Order: sequence, then structure tokens, then C-alpha cells
Amino acid sequence: MLSVFKSIPTHMDYKGQKLAEQIFQGVILVSAVIGFIYGLFIQQFGWTVYIMLAGFALSCLLTLPPWPVYRKNPLTWQPPLPETPGENREKPQENLKKKKHK
Amino acid sequence: MNTVLSRANSLFAFSLSVMAALTFGCFITTAFKDRSVPVDIHVSKVMIKNVDDFTGPRERSDLGFVTFDISADLQPIFDWNVKELFLYMSAEYSTKSNALNQVVLWDKIILRGDKTKLNLRDIKSKYFFFDDGNGLRANKNITLTLSWNVVPNAGILPLVEGSGHKSIAFPETYETAKTY
Repeated sequence: MLSVFKSIPTHMDYKGQKLAEQIFQGVILVSAVIGFIYGLFIQQFGWTVYIMLAGFALSCLLTLPPWPVYRKNPLTWQPPLPETPGENREKPQENLKKKKHK
Repeated sequence: MNTVLSRANSLFAFSLSVMAALTFGCFITTAFKDRSVPVDIHVSKVMIKNVDDFTGPRERSDLGFVTFDISADLQPIFDWNVKELFLYMSAEYSTKSNALNQVVLWDKIILRGDKTKLNLRDIKSKYFFFDDGNGLRANKNITLTLSWNVVPNAGILPLVEGSGHKSIAFPETYETAKTY
């Protein structure tokens, strides 16, 4: 059961993380300003809170799931080295250790 | 590491900070407002009795009975930072033993959304108007004032006095008939 949850991809690349943060801050701030002006106009602070919470829900929807837009710049890893048969498979550190012992 | 949970955490924390700022904004837009309105108090009946005050000085004390009308328009007090008003009618007078006596006679809660135009007729006081002696008889200057406590969403809890006092004089003689 747990492996099913772990297989769900949640990762964002670095540029995507920055973009997500900018988006949720922007959405929440804009909804807060709209809510404040509307609440001040109709003199009901409850509406300010509701509009703010709507902004919260919208930004949750926009930035919590790893949408494809946040995964456009994946890191470029080095290609895996081709494996060669025989002694070369041993790691270099282990070789060093062996030399020391001798 | 950036995960769904860490993003949710920072989103939630940011929302709470913004909410706190909004609440402070709500307070600051109403902090310097004058919340006093004119109040019209009319006293229709005044009488006093001399009865045993078992809570007080163990002697017969003056108990006043005041019947009054109140009319006021409280609409200007309500704004987006007012949840309720706690109205109370207080009597102030001076006696030989005390320079200032204050007694709360009556109170009423007006919630946001209630009818704000007060037009109350023939109200009897809710609480006993006891003097701690015999200072009410023939007292020529007893001032009735309607004041209120403004309960806000955020910020200070101001006590406001309504403009419009009523000064009454108490009779010289005690009522003797037992009409409880």
C-alpha cells in the first residue's frame, strides 16, 4: 500500500520550486488585497476572510501537485559510465586502501 | 527537501501571516473612529423605598425604582470591526458619605445584525438600585447615562458614553405600600 503512495511523483525541479513559490505568494496576496477592499466596501470582515481562504484554496490547487509546468528544467546528470568486466569494477577507494595495507 | 508537505507548510504559514496583516488592517481602519451617538432618555416614574438591605450595612437602606424610556439610533456605531454592543444604563450621584456613586441599572446586548434603532418604552431596571445608606431620598441630582462596550473583531475594547444624560430628582418621601 505504501509503495503505491511512494510511486506517485511529487518532485519539482529547482526552477519549478521557485515558480511555485512565486505563484502561491502572488495568488494569496492578490486575493488578500481584493478581499480587504471588498470587505471594507461592504463593511463585512467575514467576506475578507472568505476571499482570502478562496485564494488559499486556489494556490493549494495550483502549487501543491507537481504539474508539468514545474518540471520543465530537469537537472542534466552525467551519463552513466559504461561498465567494464573484471578488476576495474572495484571502486577506486578500495584500491587505495589495499595499497596502504601493502 | 522540497516535497508536497513542505510546500503545503510554507503556503499555510504565509496565508496565516497575510491573515494577521488583514486583521490588523481591519483594526487600524476603525481605531480612530468616534463611536458616540446621541441618546434620548426619558424617565417616566421614580419612587424610593426604605427596605432592609441584607447584603449591605445591616440597616434599612434606600432602594430606588426608576422606569425609563430610551431611544437611540445605534446604526453609525456598527462597522466591519464591531461584533456586538453591550449597552448599560448607569446612575451616578453623590451622597454625604461618597462623592461619587455609580450603579448599573439595566443592560442589553445588541448583536451585529440586530435591529439597531432602539425605541424602548417603560423599562424597569434589571438590577437593584440600592444605596449603601439613605442617600437617595430627596437627592436632587441623579444622572442617568447610557454607555456601551464595543466588542470588536480585532483590537481594543472601547467603553463609550452616549451623549445625552438625564438628570432626575428623587422624591422626599418613601413609598410604603408593598407592591412587589
